[in-house]
Amino acid sequence: MTITRAAVIGAGVMGSGIAAHLANAGVSVLLLDVPGGTPGNAPGRRNALAAGAIQRMLKADPAPFMHKRFARRITPGNTEDDLPRLAEVDWIIEAVVEDLDVKQDLYRRIEAVRRDGSIVSSNTSTLPLARLVAGLPARFVEDFLITHFFNPPRYMRLLELVAGPHTRAEAVATIRDFADRHLGKGVVMCHDTPGFVANRIGSFWLQCAVVAALDLGLSVEEADAVMSRPVGIPKTGVFGLLDLVGLDLMPRVDASLAAALPKDDAYHAIRRPWPLLERLIAEGYTGRKGKGGFYRLDTSTGQRIKQAIDLKTGTYAAAAKPVLESLQMSRSGGLKALVEHPDRGGRYAWSVLSQVFAYAAAHVPEIADTIVDVDRALKLGYNWKYGPFELIDRLGPAYVARRLAEDGREVPTLLRTAAEAGAFYRVEGGRRRYLEVSGDYRDVPRPEGVLLLEDVKLASTPLARNGSASLWDIGDGVVCLEVHTKLNTIDPDVIAMIETAIRTITGSDAYRALVVYNEGEHFSAGANLGLALFAANTGMWPMIESMVEQGQKAYRKLKGAPFPVVAAPSGLALGGGCEILLNADAVQAHAESYVGLVEAGVGVVPAWSGCTELLSRLAADPKRPGGPMPPVIAAFETIGMAKVAKSAFEARDLGFLRESDGITFNRERLLADAKARALELAADYQPPAPAELVLPGPSGKATLDFAVRDLRAKGVATEHDTRVAAALAEVLTGGPGADHTEPVPADTVLALERRAFMALVRTEATLARMEHTLETGKPLRN
Amino acid sequence: MQRPVVIAGYARSPFHFAGKGALVKMRPDELAAQVVRGLLERTGVEPADIEDLIVGCAFPEGEQGLNVARLIGFLSDLPLSVAGVTVNRFCGSSMQAIHIAAGQIQMGAGEVFICAGVESMSRVPMAGFNPMLNPGLAERFPQAYVSMGETAENVAAKYGIPRQRQEAFALESHCRAAAARAEGRLREEIVPVRRGNETVDADGCIRPDTTAEALADLKPAFKADGTVTAGTSSPLTDGAAAVLVTSEDYARAHGLKPLARLRAVAVAGCAPEIMGIGPVVATRKALARAGLDTGDIDVIELNEAFASQALACIDELKLDPARINIDGGAIALGHPLGATGARITGKAAQIMQREGKALALATQCIGGGQGIATVLEAVA
Repeated sequence: MTITRAAVIGAGVMGSGIAAHLANAGVSVLLLDVPGGTPGNAPGRRNALAAGAIQRMLKADPAPFMHKRFARRITPGNTEDDLPRLAEVDWIIEAVVEDLDVKQDLYRRIEAVRRDGSIVSSNTSTLPLARLVAGLPARFVEDFLITHFFNPPRYMRLLELVAGPHTRAEAVATIRDFADRHLGKGVVMCHDTPGFVANRIGSFWLQCAVVAALDLGLSVEEADAVMSRPVGIPKTGVFGLLDLVGLDLMPRVDASLAAALPKDDAYHAIRRPWPLLERLIAEGYTGRKGKGGFYRLDTSTGQRIKQAIDLKTGTYAAAAKPVLESLQMSRSGGLKALVEHPDRGGRYAWSVLSQVFAYAAAHVPEIADTIVDVDRALKLGYNWKYGPFELIDRLGPAYVARRLAEDGREVPTLLRTAAEAGAFYRVEGGRRRYLEVSGDYRDVPRPEGVLLLEDVKLASTPLARNGSASLWDIGDGVVCLEVHTKLNTIDPDVIAMIETAIRTITGSDAYRALVVYNEGEHFSAGANLGLALFAANTGMWPMIESMVEQGQKAYRKLKGAPFPVVAAPSGLALGGGCEILLNADAVQAHAESYVGLVEAGVGVVPAWSGCTELLSRLAADPKRPGGPMPPVIAAFETIGMAKVAKSAFEARDLGFLRESDGITFNRERLLADAKARALELAADYQPPAPAELVLPGPSGKATLDFAVRDLRAKGVATEHDTRVAAALAEVLTGGPGADHTEPVPADTVLALERRAFMALVRTEATLARMEHTLETGKPLRN
Repeated sequence: MQRPVVIAGYARSPFHFAGKGALVKMRPDELAAQVVRGLLERTGVEPADIEDLIVGCAFPEGEQGLNVARLIGFLSDLPLSVAGVTVNRFCGSSMQAIHIAAGQIQMGAGEVFICAGVESMSRVPMAGFNPMLNPGLAERFPQAYVSMGETAENVAAKYGIPRQRQEAFALESHCRAAAARAEGRLREEIVPVRRGNETVDADGCIRPDTTAEALADLKPAFKADGTVTAGTSSPLTDGAAAVLVTSEDYARAHGLKPLARLRAVAVAGCAPEIMGIGPVVATRKALARAGLDTGDIDVIELNEAFASQALACIDELKLDPARINIDGGAIALGHPLGATGARITGKAAQIMQREGKALALATQCIGGGQGIATVLEAVA
């Protein structure tokens, strides 16, 4: 069964967020909440809650929708007038208040109207499935499961799935497959135990981390500095995370978990009253959504000063950068150096982590079948870089077990088993294997059709490698070009590897296609600005000129190569990264791709063929108006304003992706989809013929100049913006010799790109922009 | 005029915001055709007697391109014998259509004309899809291509129209339009427009709830330290309008009900960078031709491209604000460029008849530095 229509009941933050993400996936969604007014009132009044939620989401940042247009896939309704319409849908998701009676009452009403074979799931985070279905008809029990999304549903990759003993296997398979392929979720099968997996371990971790900070006398800033980057946890750490999710959430989660957990659970022992938290909540310091929390921004002096609370006195003072030797040591010595250090940072890290390790090890297989499930849940649900068992492996299970024993604490059986076996994970025969509860190792399971470079790397050596990029054989004659610099920026070594890739594949019997892909957070943040700035500051203009020329040449070779090239971005694909997409025969983009030609932000124009290629794509799009100006105007706006698409769908709107380019929702399926596309293109592949562009020349330039003049008058464009825009206009209109009666060869525009870049890079204002962006990560508006 | 010419009917579509209003998905040719059909039904004019369908459009391309007047004729099922011509004088296009018809009647080249105007600012961008300026002219005489917003700022500066006055004027426009709509004074002229299963029968741009405070909060729209905001500018609008223009003899002979008689018309040029002042020269010329003075005019429809420009014209011509745009102006109602001239001429005629007045004036400014004016008198 496929899911084409769904209903979400409950238009709160989670319910509406789930509805939005279903809409992203192309599903028609009925979003219901309790009716307003009285029966017979206008739909606007009756459906106000659901309609209001949709409107709010259109303004929310980060955006729940991948494209504003998708909001139209959601139909607002109410649980009285529209309940019969549940008969139309394949999947009904309940996301109402966490109250058993309310939910069961709703289930009975749903059961009366839904059709045979439809699936019902609850987004509960606290109520066990067994209680939810108790006393309900067999048909309902068989079609029911728990689908626990994380907030915000579009961005958090974890989906916890709980099936009951009577849930139909086909219903589970349907939701699991749909969530994986269409919603892009990492599905973790959980047992029907309190808090499921991620929150069970995560809440325990958070509680430990707070209590230990109080006991060991760490400041808020110190605790967050230790319990974040050095451990592979997001930089919000502990107190920053509480600020982010809302301080008032903690007592609620704590109470419901404590009530549900068995009496002998270790969680009870670490709980204790925390008057400061209660006081903060009572005074409206509920975190970022309130007046502040453990941190706040003090604007009373006119400046924005970040303050942190003193955990002992409850007063705010300017946040201080923690100075702890343990933090210093961890930079070079890693996690072990941190937990071994005797200062309070080291003791804190060990205290918190060791408790979490012991807790996690003691609860497999109670909460999930395998350690892989637990690690995945924490990585996808809490954005940890490593799961608890992977963290134990970094220290060594024997080491962790020994120190627990030294501390006089119980060593869980599973940890003992791992200590004997050597590790929770190991690589055997090029495959990653994990430790079963039984003590045997089994292959880490991959859903069918998933291809990861991570796995390729375990099983093979690169075809070529330098400091910035590698080539991998990913099977069936397809080569993968992996960039692995910081933020995957493009530098001369990457350019050299592009050349190597072309040499390797051209004329080879073994290889027939190239995929550009990596498994970093970002496909590529663009060209390495630091190198360009260094060269400019030392006056090495020929070096810059050569970087521009070599880069452009290599990118054009990608385009003209006698084999297909598929670019597969995820995360940022900016500037020179975006230009890889523009020179590929096809793009297979992760839905969460953020694409843009942002060169103008640092005072230059795209010169690795970004201008030329965006123009070509826009001109070739039959949905855009005809004539010489529309592609020029669109490219001018997109490049001139350094627009960044906030999803692959927006990237398609801006012309970075073509209609024929593919979008993959599941990050782990991106490489397989890109490879499939490459193989599809490889059959009878013909490289594209050299392009010609119809450009307006000076008439178009005059038009764009007027537009910029107006923006300058309006105060939107700065003085240097005007100069950059003028240079860009010159490139995009084809230069002084162009006329729309005579097409311009792409090479002419490419030469204009290089010339405009070189003219701009020699200006002080452009160098100031580059320097500022390198230092702060933000654009300078000079 | 040697052969008296009358406005024998007026109709328009609802006006809606471009880009977000109810007419975004409506093709302009179809929109205009529905208004023409509405006008034919309401006036009962014999279609076979129509000489020409004259359609004003400021950016006649895309869906309002080719010779859109001819296509609107087909779409509105006019007899094939009725000709069609498209006219462009930017914002003055459909008032120009009326002037052309009057001239044709004078020279005995027809008795019955439909003078319409249309603009979908949603579907055809201002300046069109392919704006390609003459680089030499842009260099030598950049005023030729000056943006409308900039002219509004120039007029405000040159004629000393402070921001507060502009906002009070805009607020008044919304109040009047809202009252006119609430009291049903707009119902008579609006032709409900159908698209698929949907019917749009009311205006969409009027903001009855706007306040002086809300207007004062807006940022300058065109110049960082300027005085003109989105609130004191007419919005980008989708809409169509049409008037029936006939010789008075024909109207009487065929039982039509004329609203007003044309007394005099004029066009005039001015400096493009202050195009908003265009109505002043055009009005003076038209009034002189009519042998009248501004004080004689009871009903005035002065297009509100911008509050600054409307106020500057009021000051220069010493007009009585109480007589101007009594059912609201373009700041509230919207300004679908090609359609506005027919709207304000038809509206002036309609108000004059409704209020039992003797003389009316319709005038507007035109991008590129022009003004156009029409003086109407009551039909006895």
